[in-house]
Amino acid sequence: MSVMKKAEEITASGAREYLTFRLDQEEYGIDILKVQEIRGYEPPTRIANAPEFIKGVVNLRGTIVPIVDMRIRFNCAQADYNTFTVVIILNLHQRVVGIVVDSVSDVMELASGSVRAAPDIESAIDNSCIIGLGSVGERMLILLDIEKLMSSVEMGLVAVDE
Amino acid sequence: MAETYQEGSGSGADFDLSQFYQIFFEEAGENLDQMEQMLLNLDLASANDEELNGIFRCAHSIKGGSATFGFADVAELTHQMESLLDRLRRHELQPIPQMVDVLLESADASRSLLARHQAGEQGEAISTTDLVLRISELVAGRVPGGAAPAPLAQAPAPVVAAAAPAPAFAPALTVSAGQPRQLQIQIGPLERPEQADAIKELFRDIPGLGSISDLPTSDPATRRFAVETTSTNDDLLDLFAFHVAKEQVSISDGLTAGVSLSAAAPQAGQGGDAAGLSYGFFHDAPGAPGAPGAPTEAAAVPVAAVSAAAGAKAPVPKAAAEPRAQSPAQMESTTIRVAVNKVDQLINLVGELVITQAMLAQNSRGLDAGAYQQLLAGLADLDRNTRDLQESVMSIRMIPMSIVFSRFPRMLRDLANKLGKKVDFVTLGEATELDKGLVEKITDPLTHLVRNSCDHGIEMPAERLAKGKPEHGTITLSASHQGGSIVIEVRDDGKGLSREKILRKALERGLDVSEHMSDADVWQLIFAPGFSTAEVVTDVSGRGVGLDVVKRNIAALNGSVEIDSAEGYGMRVSVRLPLTLAIMDGMSVGVGDEVYILPLSSVVESFQVNAEDVSTVAQGSQLVKVRDEYMPVIALEKIFQVPRLDPSKSSSIMVVVEADGSRVALLVDELLGQHQVVVKNLESNYRKVPNVSGATILGDGTVALILDTGGLVRRARH
Repeated sequence: MSVMKKAEEITASGAREYLTFRLDQEEYGIDILKVQEIRGYEPPTRIANAPEFIKGVVNLRGTIVPIVDMRIRFNCAQADYNTFTVVIILNLHQRVVGIVVDSVSDVMELASGSVRAAPDIESAIDNSCIIGLGSVGERMLILLDIEKLMSSVEMGLVAVDE
Repeated sequence: MAETYQEGSGSGADFDLSQFYQIFFEEAGENLDQMEQMLLNLDLASANDEELNGIFRCAHSIKGGSATFGFADVAELTHQMESLLDRLRRHELQPIPQMVDVLLESADASRSLLARHQAGEQGEAISTTDLVLRISELVAGRVPGGAAPAPLAQAPAPVVAAAAPAPAFAPALTVSAGQPRQLQIQIGPLERPEQADAIKELFRDIPGLGSISDLPTSDPATRRFAVETTSTNDDLLDLFAFHVAKEQVSISDGLTAGVSLSAAAPQAGQGGDAAGLSYGFFHDAPGAPGAPGAPTEAAAVPVAAVSAAAGAKAPVPKAAAEPRAQSPAQMESTTIRVAVNKVDQLINLVGELVITQAMLAQNSRGLDAGAYQQLLAGLADLDRNTRDLQESVMSIRMIPMSIVFSRFPRMLRDLANKLGKKVDFVTLGEATELDKGLVEKITDPLTHLVRNSCDHGIEMPAERLAKGKPEHGTITLSASHQGGSIVIEVRDDGKGLSREKILRKALERGLDVSEHMSDADVWQLIFAPGFSTAEVVTDVSGRGVGLDVVKRNIAALNGSVEIDSAEGYGMRVSVRLPLTLAIMDGMSVGVGDEVYILPLSSVVESFQVNAEDVSTVAQGSQLVKVRDEYMPVIALEKIFQVPRLDPSKSSSIMVVVEADGSRVALLVDELLGQHQVVVKNLESNYRKVPNVSGATILGDGTVALILDTGGLVRRARH
């Protein structure tokens, strides 16, 4: 998908609300409609032979939910677990997934005009999972297509058909 | 359903019905099942009115539904069935086995037709011409290819009995004089004259309303009927208002009708056949005027006498007059159809509630009972209520075994006929309840076992007589609760298993057997793939395909199969299953700081291991000697890469598990206990994890993984 086309999609759909969270020094935004709830971190049950960033599974009111640590996935320097560590529970395509982030900042409405296409840059994730860059005052938000990111093969959350 | 049909016949094409298809298919399926069941239970010699009416209602509902949805082929076939059933329930024909046969076959055909519609008209078209022809022969009182036609209608008396009870039923409506009146009703002109036909159905559906027959009209937009009824004109108008506007109905006294009757009088001699046809829905029969002809005799008789006479001559119609509330049709309204996922959601929520409650109970333990008296009393109530709630919710998923058992009488009947055997089928414990998910999965294995009993177990009648056994073999299917499991037994009094034959076959097939094996071990051989001792391969069974599948399917449900047999006396196959798939008995084991659950059904034994009992084979895999047997060792610590924080602990306990007939020893740190666990799916939000079959939530709210013993055993063998 071309950069231009991505930008156009945003323009077409107008303003959107994003939940912003921090990973180390970077600030990210994801579509608020994909967020089910925000919880404190509790130690999950480890799953053997899973990638390092999959911390395991937790019990969310009777549902078994896998927990992905985004800090490990995005190669952050530190990934501590303390009382401020939060888990964002996402509801994607009938699947429930939790992501661990350093902190949740706020919910922001971004008009289509303030979202710019992301330049082709080297990063820990596939570029197509980045919708664009949003600027709010002096801050820069990296807007993620969280659904696409979570369902990508390298996340290891879905079984790969052999 | 009748209303749906009538509305549908007028305006069905105007709006999209496809959204209701699924409901219709489900309902039709249920109706067919019910009809089949009732047909099989029908006692031909003294058929009960309520039963016949029940069967009729089923056929009628399917007809109505399929006509509404435009499945003309089903409607046509069921209409024919209905005609036959209608004559039966009016006692104009005596039920004979051929009728039951043809009705059962028609039910099958309707099922296939419906399946074809459901699949979007794919597959070969199914012809019902033959069935329709056979039914119409029977309706006409002829037995296809047989002797003795049995219409009762030849005698005039039953006709009187059939028509006369009308006043006895009449309390449902206001009776004017109590005596039947002859009326002529003209309806129309109507835009859609078919609407008027619905009125004829009214007369058939409402007991005691009276009889109706067509009269010829000159104008195609109007309809004229000759009616004989005890209801007042106002009552009739009110009833008709369901279908046609009041203004369009004109009711006149029967004088003119009487004239047409007397003109038709010679036809009345044709007897009950014509009278019966006039009740039929679609029969604009030429002989129709004959119908009022017969009841004229009855009209002259005082009401009390008539009902008394009717009671004496035919006690059965009285049963039909009993309040409808007791009929199966009314029973249905006390149940509701709910999507399974809604129930599952409820179960999940209750499970969560139980965990929250357990947490509260734990946290409140240290509280001072004096200071927090009310709080603690409230918590105690909560405890009791959650427990009750959980039990009730779990029971929603449980359905009685009769759902499964009800399939078998039909299957056995056909099978026994085909094989030329005589088999009685007995079921016990139909009320035993089982999880719906299990019921669906157990049906096929059970079918197989029952077929097997019939084909291989029960001998031919002559052979049985020669052995001094009763000519009829008996197959017993029973279900019962035993502890936390349900035990389903298939028992027959046939020839039983032959030890020598099985051993000989096993040797031929190169299986590892010896003369000294215990009986139980010998019987287990018949579950080996491809094993069959049948001398003749039939299309029913004997190819040796299946019993191994049966065993595998049951093992997949955490169940087991046992055989007991005595040659010459029969055999018994017991299937033991857990009550539900959602809950299983688990054994929790600790490895490092982690907890894993083993299905208790696969655990054989556990023991403290001594270093000298473990030997290593060249490739590095370990074997442990248990008594005289060597079995592979799987260290859970290794395959689950459990981190060791406390190096002083080590795995020194072996748990022997069995799956697919072979055993492995799992090396764990400690045994934590046995408890029932609620099985959760890992794949719904995550993916399949090797060696793990699911997950569960422990009492403290954390998740523990349930080990897939089958997978572990397979892993050890490769």
